[in-house]
Amino acid sequence: MTLQTLLLIGLIVFSALALLSRDLIKAAISFAAASLLLGIVFFRMGAPYAGVFEISVVAGLITVLFILTIALTEKKAEVRESPKARMIFPLFFIVFIIIDVLVMRGLIRKIPTLPAEAETGLFGQVLWGQRTFDLVGQVAVILAGVFAVLALFRKKDLDD
Amino acid sequence: MTETWYLYMFFAAALVAVGLYALLTMRNIIKLLIAVGIIGKGISLALLASGWAQNLLLTAQSLVITFIVVEVCLVAVALALAINAYRHTKDLDVRKLARLKG
Repeated sequence: MTLQTLLLIGLIVFSALALLSRDLIKAAISFAAASLLLGIVFFRMGAPYAGVFEISVVAGLITVLFILTIALTEKKAEVRESPKARMIFPLFFIVFIIIDVLVMRGLIRKIPTLPAEAETGLFGQVLWGQRTFDLVGQVAVILAGVFAVLALFRKKDLDD
Repeated sequence: MTETWYLYMFFAAALVAVGLYALLTMRNIIKLLIAVGIIGKGISLALLASGWAQNLLLTAQSLVITFIVVEVCLVAVALALAINAYRHTKDLDVRKLARLKG
């Protein structure tokens, strides 16, 4: 349990670093490190498939996309973030953590438990058998994403 | 069981809060997309933790996988939009997007 808590604290630290660091490449790498830690947390919770997806897709693919975008946009495009945002962040975070400690335990007790049958079978059976509609939606989302990226990067027609 | 669930939900809420704060205060488009990714991490942690607490881990895993795929598509399209916006304005500042002309 202690290791799990340490991993979660590391996740928060790397997420905050990803948002607060001035260098965009460092921000993208911190984001990947946070994903890696979350993937390890998923593995330790007994969810290896979610962990594999988190590490390979979020830590791998999304980081590559971020770094590609940072490389495509030139260095002179550096944006000055407001210094106030950086200074207020620790205060905001401490206040939020205090509220979180006070409120979350009570909230969790109030969540009603939905009746559900115990799961049987393997992950593949649940994914393909019970969640077929999710998978159809997933394919539609991937296709929509591909077409949107193609539309955004299409070359101008000759008669334009 | 409840104690561990509490721990996961506590950190999920903290992740969402960090991401929301960045979404409200940052100006760089790429930073905003990283913030969206961090909110997504918090949500997938909450989904999986709830499935774990109710002993429905397999369903929770399939939902998390669906969510991750949706997130990747969102980030890919948003980054393509960011590159297009950069070509127009030569800047990644969201405040300059208000001045876009056709």
